[in-house]
Amino acid sequence: MSDMTLGGSHLDASWFLILSAILFTIGAVGVLVRRNPLVILICIELMLNAVNLTLVTFSRQLGNLEGQLFTLMSITVAAAEAVVGLAILVDIFRVRDVEDIDELSEMKG
Amino acid sequence: MNASQLALLVLLLPAAGAIVLAGRGWRLPRIVTQIVGPGVVWGSFVATLALFFGKASGDFTYWTWIQSGSFQVPFNILIDNLSIFMCLVITGVGGLIVTYSVGYMEHEDGPSYARFFTYMDVFIFSMLLLVLAGNFVWLIVGWALVGLSSYLLIGFWYQRRTAVAAARKAFVMNVIGDAGMILGGFVLFMTYHQTTYSGVFAGINHCRGALLCYAGGDSLQLELAGFLLLVGAVAKSAQIPLHTWLPDAMEGPTPVSALIHAATMVTAGVYLVGRMHPIYDLAPYAHGAVAIIGAVTALFAATIAIVQTDIKRVLAYSTMSQIGYMFLAVGIGAYSAGFFHLLAHAFFKALLFMAAGNVIHAMHDEQDMRKYGGLFRQLPRTGGAFLIGSLALVGVIPLVGFFSKEQILGAAFSKGDPLALGVWVIGAATALITGFYTGRMWWISFAGKPSSERPVEHPHEAPPVMLVPVLILAALSVVGGFIQTRALGIGPSVVSDFLASAVGPLRWEENAGAVVVGLITMVLSTLLFFAAYRFYVERTWKTWSANVPWAQRLLERKYYFDEIYDAAFVRPMDAIANWGARDIEGPVLDGAVVGTGNAAVAAARSLSLTQSGYFRNYVLVFVGGAVVAAVLLLLRTA
Repeated sequence: MSDMTLGGSHLDASWFLILSAILFTIGAVGVLVRRNPLVILICIELMLNAVNLTLVTFSRQLGNLEGQLFTLMSITVAAAEAVVGLAILVDIFRVRDVEDIDELSEMKG
Repeated sequence: MNASQLALLVLLLPAAGAIVLAGRGWRLPRIVTQIVGPGVVWGSFVATLALFFGKASGDFTYWTWIQSGSFQVPFNILIDNLSIFMCLVITGVGGLIVTYSVGYMEHEDGPSYARFFTYMDVFIFSMLLLVLAGNFVWLIVGWALVGLSSYLLIGFWYQRRTAVAAARKAFVMNVIGDAGMILGGFVLFMTYHQTTYSGVFAGINHCRGALLCYAGGDSLQLELAGFLLLVGAVAKSAQIPLHTWLPDAMEGPTPVSALIHAATMVTAGVYLVGRMHPIYDLAPYAHGAVAIIGAVTALFAATIAIVQTDIKRVLAYSTMSQIGYMFLAVGIGAYSAGFFHLLAHAFFKALLFMAAGNVIHAMHDEQDMRKYGGLFRQLPRTGGAFLIGSLALVGVIPLVGFFSKEQILGAAFSKGDPLALGVWVIGAATALITGFYTGRMWWISFAGKPSSERPVEHPHEAPPVMLVPVLILAALSVVGGFIQTRALGIGPSVVSDFLASAVGPLRWEENAGAVVVGLITMVLSTLLFFAAYRFYVERTWKTWSANVPWAQRLLERKYYFDEIYDAAFVRPMDAIANWGARDIEGPVLDGAVVGTGNAAVAAARSLSLTQSGYFRNYVLVFVGGAVVAAVLLLLRTA
């Protein structure tokens, strides 16, 4: 069952994995190079969802529902993570106006 | 009350007194200290008298202290005529001296006053433990405890640097002796597997019997034990070469000098040799060493006493010299003569020290006798008592010193072997020097005109509490000799008869020649006593030291013993300690500790560089790590 059909057309699973890899790389590079904290959070979400996509793809390909269950777990954790991250950001914004994540570098050894 | 309970009472009363005074004494009124301090000693004295008149004897075991296989240490008290004799001296003379201290220490404040009597009672307890102990372990415990109480009392005025130094010196010297004692006890235990006197002495007799315990006998072990125990005796009794602590110990209060450094503790060595006579009788070399050390110390200390100017130091050297006589006596086997001299010396030397204490008190703590002069008219009672003590020390008939000293010399003279004759010559020469230095001390202090440097113009006689014990001892010094007049060849010999059951009778006859020689010695030393008047008061005769300045210097430096010990032991030890402090302590020990700390700090500092605080750095490391992990996984599957 290595092949999938989408809207009648025939799609190889590797396409999904390639898309997922592209999304993950965009996310990772975004986290590394962007300075706006909100964008960084969004990039993290992007990476998470890329992984979710991989999980679903393999679940479908291997006919094992555990992968999809894992994706649901992952979405829940991602939601919680977004809540915590945003709450921290909101708190920081209350104290001062941060445009650049590099401004938050006081906690160094 | 039976004998074993009485013996325990003798021992424990002073301990109880010390505990009471140490616990609450200084908060209670002063009168409590004044009653409890001497009271417990007198209580012990009464209990000892009860033992004496009850003719008690026996080896009483109270409990087993240590039991480990065949090794057994009981707590037992040995009551025989020797220990009763020693207890009588310790508690009797000790009681007088502690009573005298009530007056002498009057100027101390409350806590110090109670502290003094606590120490005195601790000392009496330790000394009684030493003489009552029935085995070597408790003997050593008592032996070390008297050293401790001596240390505490010499350093009683701990605000004085010199007193603290003297206390430390005495303690170190005594610990050398303690080490000898302990090793001696080990040798005896390894040879006979017993710790009690009775067990060891039975073992010695057993080996003398048909059955030899060791191939070649146990003579070697006995000689070794004899020499090791002698180290202890020499240190405690301030004999050459471990004598240097005694003159310095005069830094302590005068009653301490009278009690510990004249009457009792320093005679512990004589007691030890007497108690161990079954060993020394079979160890001729160790026994001879006792006699030689005694004779040499007697002469040596007497010569130093000629040039001392501090009245207590003269008495200290005289004490060393007189204990030398006792060593000489027990060393040639005339045990009871040695113990009779111990008794006599306790009388007249405690008397001399306490009378000197009265003088020092009247002179506001001035101890240099060149600054006294003409005191006899102003302090007639103290001066009279001091004269009696001095004449007893010189050995003028019929004072107690004559009978005891001449009995020793007579025994040495008539024994007949070359060693005894040799020590007799030294002893007789010492007797003459004793006459001279005693005369010098008495005439300089009490005769002539008052010195211009005298601190007190019109001194006052001591209060009754300080005078009565002195007068009692003066009376004892006068009449005490009549209990044993063997030195004259006639009359009673109470002490020797009493001690015969413990140390045996004299094994040879004193001949008539000894009496004549003794009387001649006595006359000559008395003449020298009066000759000192010409030398030091009238100054009609030129002082001998003017002719031989080098001898004067040699004696004033005490034969350079302190300097030699300083160069041989103290300074090398100091040098090693300094070297260790400079080259070991700093670079090695401190270096290791500080270096460990520094290395940890440096490591932490370099690690903390990675904690930049920049979010992107952490992510980069994280991603980089993930990439490396992924690559490694891929390589493994490939």
